[in-house]
Amino acid sequence: MNTLNRRQFLKLGGAASLLAALPKAVGAATTPARVVVVGGGFGGATVAKYLRMWGGNVSVILVDPNPSHLSCILSNMVVVGTLGMSRITISYDSLKARHGVNVVQGKAVGIDPAGNRLTISTSSGNKTLDYDHLVLSPGIDFAPAPGVWDPSLTPHAWQAGAQTTLLKNQLAAMRNYDKFVMTVPKSPYRCPPGPYERACVVADYLKRKGYYGAKVIVLDANAGIQAEPEAFSHAFNVTHKGMIEYHTSATVQSIDSKTRSIATSALNVSNAKVLNYIPNQVAGGITAGLPHNATGFVPVDPLTYAVQGYGNIHVIGDACAVPSSEGKAVPKSGHMANSEAKVCADAIVRTLAGGTPDENVTTNSACYSPITNKSASWLSANFNYGDIYNSKGEVIGKGMHRVDLGEAPAERVNGDSYQDMYTWAEALFSDSFM
Amino acid sequence: MKTLSFPMRPLTGGLLIAVAALAGTAHAEPGRLLAAQCAQCHGTNGAGPGFDSIAGKNAGELYHELVEMKYRPIESIMDRQARGYTEDQLLQISNYLSTLPGGGDD
Repeated sequence: MNTLNRRQFLKLGGAASLLAALPKAVGAATTPARVVVVGGGFGGATVAKYLRMWGGNVSVILVDPNPSHLSCILSNMVVVGTLGMSRITISYDSLKARHGVNVVQGKAVGIDPAGNRLTISTSSGNKTLDYDHLVLSPGIDFAPAPGVWDPSLTPHAWQAGAQTTLLKNQLAAMRNYDKFVMTVPKSPYRCPPGPYERACVVADYLKRKGYYGAKVIVLDANAGIQAEPEAFSHAFNVTHKGMIEYHTSATVQSIDSKTRSIATSALNVSNAKVLNYIPNQVAGGITAGLPHNATGFVPVDPLTYAVQGYGNIHVIGDACAVPSSEGKAVPKSGHMANSEAKVCADAIVRTLAGGTPDENVTTNSACYSPITNKSASWLSANFNYGDIYNSKGEVIGKGMHRVDLGEAPAERVNGDSYQDMYTWAEALFSDSFM
Repeated sequence: MKTLSFPMRPLTGGLLIAVAALAGTAHAEPGRLLAAQCAQCHGTNGAGPGFDSIAGKNAGELYHELVEMKYRPIESIMDRQARGYTEDQLLQISNYLSTLPGGGDD
């Protein structure tokens, strides 16, 4: 890096990043730049892997509280017993052995932006990690629940692991006339099709078991289905007719886990057999000291995923808010987190080499949603960097503009797509973690 | 696609890209970041596991297939994904993938 011109300075976003980036760029030939990644999900694993693939002499530490990743993707198939937990348990061994990522088991507890230092809590006490760039991919936290919510009684199963097993066991205890009650959080939330997918595969499970009068009651905080509206409307009204009762604009007013009761603006239910309360969501807690938008997520630069005013702190995946056209938000999904991670990794590598971020940037999400244990639908969304628009079509700035969105045509909601779901998941797991 | 062996546009920079890739530097080759967005479904560097292996495919054939998908009526998920890119982006992706080790799927 010969000089840091005004444009680069602006891209870096502030004095803290200038101080962080300058000495490293000068000494880049000998001293490896240090990148610390918080969160070993799809976003964090991918950014760690691609930084090592693309970054040359870059040292990457990945911090996660768990010894392996438990994927939310495919976890609904674990809830209904089609897959085992091992299928959604992903090792960090490849990141370590093949890519030279230093994976540290611990929980990030504090960021010192001025000192470029992260504090983590580990089994052997607190440690500090110095960084030149910090990438946060912490996923979601839950907004406070109204009422008395105990997730060990009424699980969310929206972060995979023990919660997935708990919901699976509760579902397995259902019999004739029992009710499975679930909520759909207010958007934006992790995995827009996920709740509807869960309703479908649970209904399918109950039907296959032949439980008479058993039913899924869906309480959606939103005005309508948030993803794949045609596929899920068809599934609710035709495929699973009589098995799924769908209520819109059901804002949760109070929950009582002990009696498995929930009050919403649309319907009150008492003594559900299973109450799968999926709360509203916000960015993971480690982002607490950073700016948040009105819905609780961290606005980022779409070319670098840097947080405004903190040029060397990046937030990717479910926790970030990418500037986008009104009504065309970038979805929160593992696939999208992987996509954003590559843009972030490329920008960091370019910045460390004294360059500027690429502006020819795209992101995408694609996913398959099971409707039964034999058929699936799919969703596809693509974003391109450029002008973004309000609902009147006026340009409101630069960001990731959604250039295409679509779901499987009705005739494609079938067994081929169900098989494709496993191919897609294998590819995504591999590209992110292997 | 064997009959359409010529790309719609000249495939510039293929050799330079290959040299840069072999050099293994931190320098980002054109198309690399765009093509990395295929890897979620086609595997890292387009080499699987996943759907059709796209690493090392003939650049002209791949570009023609992607452009065909971009404009034909929607059947498969790739017809949607192809709509997410400009023709120039599809060309860069095809060029880059053709330089990667692999023989494609066909």
